[in-house]
Amino acid sequence: MTGYLRRATVDLAAYRANLRSLIERVAPVEVLAIVKADAYSLGVDVIVPEALAAGIRWFGTVEPEPAFRLRREGVGDEASYFAWQLGPDEDYAAAVELRVDLGVSTLEQLEAFADAARAAGPGHEALVHLTIDTGLHREGCLPADWAAFVTRAVELRDEGVVRLRGCFSHVSETSEADDHAASLVFRRALDDAEALGATFEKRHMSSSSAALEHPERRFDMVRMGSNGYGNPVTEGVTAADRGLRPVLTLSGCVVRVKRIAAGTGVSYDYTWRAERDTTLALVPLGYADGVSRRAQHGAEVTIDGRRHPIVGRVAMDQFLVDVGDHDVAVGDEVLLFGPGDRGELTIGEWADVTGSVPEEVSCRIGARVERVYTGGRA
Amino acid sequence: MTQDIRVTVDTAALRHNAETLRAAVAPAAVMAVVKANAYGHGAVESARAFAAAGVDWLGVADLDEAVELREAGVTTPLLAWLHAPGETFERAAAHDVTPAVSDLVQLEAAAAAGVRAVHLCVDTGLSRNGAVAGEWPEFFARAAELSGRVPVEGIMTHLSNASPEEDGAQVAAFLSAVEMLGRLGVEPRLRHVAASAAALHFTDVGGSPGDMVRFGLAMYGLSPFADRTGAQLGLRPALTLRAPVTTVKRVPAGEGVSYGYVFRPERDTTIAVVPVGYSDGVDRAASDRASVTIGQRTYRVRGRIAMNALVIDVGDDPVEVGDDVVLFGDPALGHQGAADWARAFGGITYEVVASLAARLPRSWT
Repeated sequence: MTGYLRRATVDLAAYRANLRSLIERVAPVEVLAIVKADAYSLGVDVIVPEALAAGIRWFGTVEPEPAFRLRREGVGDEASYFAWQLGPDEDYAAAVELRVDLGVSTLEQLEAFADAARAAGPGHEALVHLTIDTGLHREGCLPADWAAFVTRAVELRDEGVVRLRGCFSHVSETSEADDHAASLVFRRALDDAEALGATFEKRHMSSSSAALEHPERRFDMVRMGSNGYGNPVTEGVTAADRGLRPVLTLSGCVVRVKRIAAGTGVSYDYTWRAERDTTLALVPLGYADGVSRRAQHGAEVTIDGRRHPIVGRVAMDQFLVDVGDHDVAVGDEVLLFGPGDRGELTIGEWADVTGSVPEEVSCRIGARVERVYTGGRA
Repeated sequence: MTQDIRVTVDTAALRHNAETLRAAVAPAAVMAVVKANAYGHGAVESARAFAAAGVDWLGVADLDEAVELREAGVTTPLLAWLHAPGETFERAAAHDVTPAVSDLVQLEAAAAAGVRAVHLCVDTGLSRNGAVAGEWPEFFARAAELSGRVPVEGIMTHLSNASPEEDGAQVAAFLSAVEMLGRLGVEPRLRHVAASAAALHFTDVGGSPGDMVRFGLAMYGLSPFADRTGAQLGLRPALTLRAPVTTVKRVPAGEGVSYGYVFRPERDTTIAVVPVGYSDGVDRAASDRASVTIGQRTYRVRGRIAMNALVIDVGDDPVEVGDDVVLFGDPALGHQGAADWARAFGGITYEVVASLAARLPRSWT
């Protein structure tokens, strides 16, 4: 009887295979791997080298800081890093020095980035992606301001301090009609920019699902987050449908087993009472580890190929499972979700029963959960 | 990594809370529970603040958490109660950590490892950790046999907070366990039952709050009750989550905002983007429900909370890039409280703070 408390197992072979498959499917369009939020909490320091081995040459990190760190550590020297959520006091000098591509949304950001390149002297340039707001209304230049924004970018390019690396947008994934409308705004912005003398190395607007479903919206590059991790976000589409394999398994070991009598209330507030004599297994993961308290309502975990319901309140560090009269022992492995081939829920199913989405489930796995990597390091 | 988000923790508030709670339950000893990264407040710094305020014990869930504190130089007595199957307790012995043991296997392993002492954990109704009543005779007899080698320093249980009657039944069961142990000649110095809710609400555990009270949520200035605030308990919330506005944008009436376009303003308005999202520990179910403050003004989160950003509707107010947005903090300063966020997504105050990502930069003032 040995075991562990909590584990997030990351199948690196599956991650590499997913990326290779995505690269092949959209070739010759470039694939940018999204590694924001510590690679969806899987560990960006491990994930980036694997993606490089799979052939990825572009990475997206949201904020520039992780890109700066990876550059300073010499990870992916041959690759490009792209960040687009910039702080009010962004370190543009670091972005110039470390060759990090930034998506800029305003004239202020553009000028500040160009100033940093000018200050760095000859041979330095700001690697700029002009961001157009095609409807999401977060970052991005509004279409009404686009012409002035592009005009200034072209001037700065001609001055030699800006390199127009890309033009990009985010779409809302609200409906096909909305996304189509956004794609028309994007095309229009590209046409207008070209008329003003701008040409871009990488034009990109599509992320995971749209990138696969709408070849006409791929342009020069697509951004792959969830698909790379094997979790298609399109409703009704499984990883298998997409030829992908989920990379993440969340598990723990049973730390205690006890028999209780019919009528016994369990966990805080006794929200669940046993209808008949039964056996409970205590699992050492709680909401501090990313197991939503909503998992009490319908989530099932898998022990030795068999599903069992979570009962009673999920606590900060633990939850209970009703295993009925099945023979469950301390040390038995409990699967919360995984690829699904050992009878366990997939991350998509887990997200559905907890009122969440797979990305949130992945990102919110806590720091106490040990990350274990399988499938060989590249 | 998310350099613009700041979690600030007021260690003076942590000390104030510790002192207030010590006075409230004196002469009982006080344990500050610092599991789950001290409920998101930062384990090491919080432990140091509580130790400086004179708490007698620190409590964590598991030995990994305990070892982290010891390696950071924290020397306060330390109890851990959630153990992996097959745990050898060698780390507990090496780092002077006291394990609470729930069964014979753990008791034997702890004794073999030579830990300084054990606490016996009994299940009086919660059905989680702890030996159940049927196991007590054998468990206690073995503890008595081993007590020459490994002292039984404490006995503990955890309440369900289901109702005063249910909690009273648990306390009665606990007292019967203490009595059974006493008949075997073992009289633990620390008999502890109550956590924050019980100690503040139901202070009379067998005529006293017990020999020690385990305070978690209350230590951080947050209330375990739906009908009373931390301030009403004489406590001060210590943690503030803030981030600067990164984008301000005028949006015409009827246009969708953020993923899914679930928010479409009825009139022209200004929205501001705040670089905090669910990967930072903010529950996505708070979308379109929670509020934040800028200065003394309160604004609603609109549209879907994304992985790294959320959007607020600031109407016609002159909000600028760089303005300081407080997601939650101390209601006495006009901020939303952690309890307000909990209500917004149908959760509990505990999970609002305990879910904050460990990688967020924290500063202690």
